[in-house]
Amino acid sequence: MKLHPLCTDTDHGPTVMDLPIPPGLKQEWAAFETRRQFFGRTGKVLGWAALASLLGGRGVTGDAHAANTNGPAGPQAAGDLKLPNFAPKAKRAIYLFMSGGPPQIDLWDYKPNLAALYNKDIPDSVRGAQQLTGMTSGQARFPIAPSHWAFKRYGKTGTWVSDLLPYTARMVDDLTIVKSTNTDAINHEPAIMLMNTGNMNAGKPCLGSWLAYGLGSMNDNLPTFMVLQTKVNDKENNQPVSSRLWSSGFLSSEYAGVGLRSSGDPVLYLSDPNGVDREVRRKMLDAVNEINHQTYEELGDPETNARISQYEMAYRMQTSVPELADLSKEPQSTWSLYGPEAMEPGTFAYNCLMARRMAERGVRFTQVYKRGWDVHGNVTGLLPILCQETDRGCYALVTDLKQRGLLDDTLVIWAGEFGRTVYSQGGLSPENYGRDHHPRCYTTWMTGGGVRPGITYGETDDYSYNVVKDPVPVRDFNATLLHCLGIDHNKLTYKFQGLDQKLTGTTPASVVPGLLA
Amino acid sequence: MKTFKDVIARADQLLPQGRSIRVVWLAALLMSVELLLLPLIFKLDGQAHGNWQQFLGRFHPLVVHVPIGLILLVPVLEIAGLARPALREAAGFVLKLSFIGCLGALILGYLLAYGGGDVGAVVTRHMWGGIVLTIFVLLCALARPWWISGSVSRVYPALLSCALLALVWATHQGGSLTHGSNYLTQYMPAPMKQILLVDYFQSSPASSGSFYAMHIHPIFDSNCVACHGEGKIKGGLRLDSYDVLMKGGKDGAVIVPGKPESSTLLARVTLPSDHKQFMPADGKPPLKPEQIAWIRAWIQQGASPSAATVNGVTIREESKEPTLQPVGDYSGMMHEILLMQQGQGAKLVQVSRNPADGLVLSTVDVAGSFDDAQLAQFQKYAPYIVEVELGRTAVTNGCFDTLAKFTNLRALHLEGTGVTGVGLQELAPLTQLTYLNLSETKVTPANLAPLGAMKNLRHIYLYNTPAQPVSGADAAQSASRSAL
Repeated sequence: MKLHPLCTDTDHGPTVMDLPIPPGLKQEWAAFETRRQFFGRTGKVLGWAALASLLGGRGVTGDAHAANTNGPAGPQAAGDLKLPNFAPKAKRAIYLFMSGGPPQIDLWDYKPNLAALYNKDIPDSVRGAQQLTGMTSGQARFPIAPSHWAFKRYGKTGTWVSDLLPYTARMVDDLTIVKSTNTDAINHEPAIMLMNTGNMNAGKPCLGSWLAYGLGSMNDNLPTFMVLQTKVNDKENNQPVSSRLWSSGFLSSEYAGVGLRSSGDPVLYLSDPNGVDREVRRKMLDAVNEINHQTYEELGDPETNARISQYEMAYRMQTSVPELADLSKEPQSTWSLYGPEAMEPGTFAYNCLMARRMAERGVRFTQVYKRGWDVHGNVTGLLPILCQETDRGCYALVTDLKQRGLLDDTLVIWAGEFGRTVYSQGGLSPENYGRDHHPRCYTTWMTGGGVRPGITYGETDDYSYNVVKDPVPVRDFNATLLHCLGIDHNKLTYKFQGLDQKLTGTTPASVVPGLLA
Repeated sequence: MKTFKDVIARADQLLPQGRSIRVVWLAALLMSVELLLLPLIFKLDGQAHGNWQQFLGRFHPLVVHVPIGLILLVPVLEIAGLARPALREAAGFVLKLSFIGCLGALILGYLLAYGGGDVGAVVTRHMWGGIVLTIFVLLCALARPWWISGSVSRVYPALLSCALLALVWATHQGGSLTHGSNYLTQYMPAPMKQILLVDYFQSSPASSGSFYAMHIHPIFDSNCVACHGEGKIKGGLRLDSYDVLMKGGKDGAVIVPGKPESSTLLARVTLPSDHKQFMPADGKPPLKPEQIAWIRAWIQQGASPSAATVNGVTIREESKEPTLQPVGDYSGMMHEILLMQQGQGAKLVQVSRNPADGLVLSTVDVAGSFDDAQLAQFQKYAPYIVEVELGRTAVTNGCFDTLAKFTNLRALHLEGTGVTGVGLQELAPLTQLTYLNLSETKVTPANLAPLGAMKNLRHIYLYNTPAQPVSGADAAQSASRSAL
């Protein structure tokens, strides 16, 4: 008696799997066994019953049955899907995610008039009926805290940039600065989920997964979507960054982001253990794959195929990742551009350099996370550290991509999940202040393939509180990113829970033409 | 003329009601003359007339479709009548009905133009088209009985053909009035335009580099001239050239140089969109805020026809990228391509779902081993390949020979390869090439000289080459896009 490959219970009697019936029927039987598929089928049975009664008993024929088994419960055929809707300007993207919410007033959104309003209360008319976070809603006063830092004009465009970003300021003529980005969420987790997945609730695929699903891989030896986390600086106020942010949600798990560790081996257990050479590994994988194939034939669960492809990817990564992470051949010019910090794995500068190397090797989407921007207090103490950690890396990455001719077809994005308030959280003194979460406006920038260089888009009011011109909500921001990569955000969909799910959600979103090249 | 008399004479003999036929013809002649005189009696003077004329006139676009449908039905019934005689009987009825429809549409159309004060070349053409069509339909209706009786076989078909031609002409003019004269040709594929010489006939404004010609005129052209142009001159105002724009309409100038606040044109486009006098009228899309801002700034600074710039307005230069040639359709070869790349390792990736966007040759998976010989194998698909990624491959200067045959090539990546640039001149015929990456190769300045002649090649990358060495510290500052 042949046992199910996963079955260890030899005492059990024969099951449907042992009956002399066609394998197709067995597969269908097996498919009933997962809860989700069971419910899916049950729902459809009701539908078919209703249809059958409507058709007077003639409708339920062999054809109808075939339609049922090939229905949307099965994996959705990719095929033609793995192509842009139109010729893309950017083939790949690098997303520098500033987790925590960088204060736009201290970095980009220059408000010289605020200096005169130091410690004055922000007018109620500006704040409106906004609900604040629990961290400042109890405050008796909302005193205006002008930026501690001076701003200067840079580049041919004469863009105002804070003294905190001396490196980034050098490339303002290449940047597309969006001062009117705004979000619906006021707390980290919902806001960061909204930025990444288009929905505040967990369970939706993130931008990178949608790209992997919609555009496919450019390099068979590396993951399509990679995530780099920057080492945590304990002095900073670090909000957690979880794998939910690079999850593939309801898409197949092969589209999830693959994280590289910030210290030690980039990928754990990737190298072969002592005594196991690559040939042995190959044989082992072949055997495992064969068993997995059998499982797939019997259970028909698409996730089994995802598992097979991930094992194969890991095998190929055994050679491709060490090559990717081997910086020994980088010329001296690299280190003078990115700075000595880039030699230390896990720093932001190192991750920027890795992002450039991934772009060269055809990784479709790289997301670099930098935590610590959640400056509720001690802005003057923390912000210089945060900027010093990130400013040069951003500049080096863009400059490096540009000089190597990669910026033409790479989109670089710098964004956090929200901005910070103009009024001080906690005590305000001439030396120091804090800033709370602010969803109504924040500054982001992009550069590279598809976007219009050297512009500042959108305007905020005198308090950097409300958007007064050209608002860019998160869904429009994401629709624009997809557009640069050749995707119509309304067409990249996946049927799930009865909805054609998409990154930009159900509220109508639109590409922002003013940002496009 | 003699034959015409003969025809009438013979008809008289043939038809039982011979006497009355003369009366009918006389009446028809009279009516035709009246129709022809109509525009001369009630001249279209560009002035709006009574409300009831306009009210009735606005039914013209509705009613006009009745005779169109009926007239088109006549030849169908006549032909179908060969097989089913009953249908042929119906044709006569439909023909008479269409004449009545024509007459109705004509009168309403005239009321529309007269009442609304519409004048212009297209209005006139549309009007004459309608009159001529009505007369032809009338003649058809009169000539048909001879044809049925078999006495005169050619006159009716000839008249009916003329009526159909007049129908096409008149309705096309009407369509141009409603949708603008470039409605049909705007999205016509370029090759078809060339064949039909569309652009040849379309007058373009003096495309000097002035702010007016570059930015102001196009706004009017796409939003206003459908009603304020050569074809239709609502309110006596034309906006299709600078001179007529400044001349203004029947109420005087619409643009006062230097004074945006007293310029009627600006006032009318900035009214609330539900205002009676708001322009563009009739629910057409309003001007965009930035367009209004440009017009205001342009008027403010003198409304000059020739000034090249207007202070305070920076408009992004139109992309000077060369127009991309669509490549042919490779879909038929896709199976073959898939088979080939399975053996090759290198891939031909579709740029997008639209085959006209072409293919990208991607070698990243087999970069180390991909050489000139393998590249040569892709020559067969050369016309469809728009981008070749050879970064860090084993190709040498020998590749230029093959690449010269990739006539639709737009981007070429050779970074980190062994090429030294000898043979680069072979790329000269690639007129579509805009991007060339030679970073980290041994390319020397001398070998780059031939690229200077390639006008479209504007993105050349030479980072870390003998032509553009990097010296450590100032790498960050080195110019990356070298202009040749």
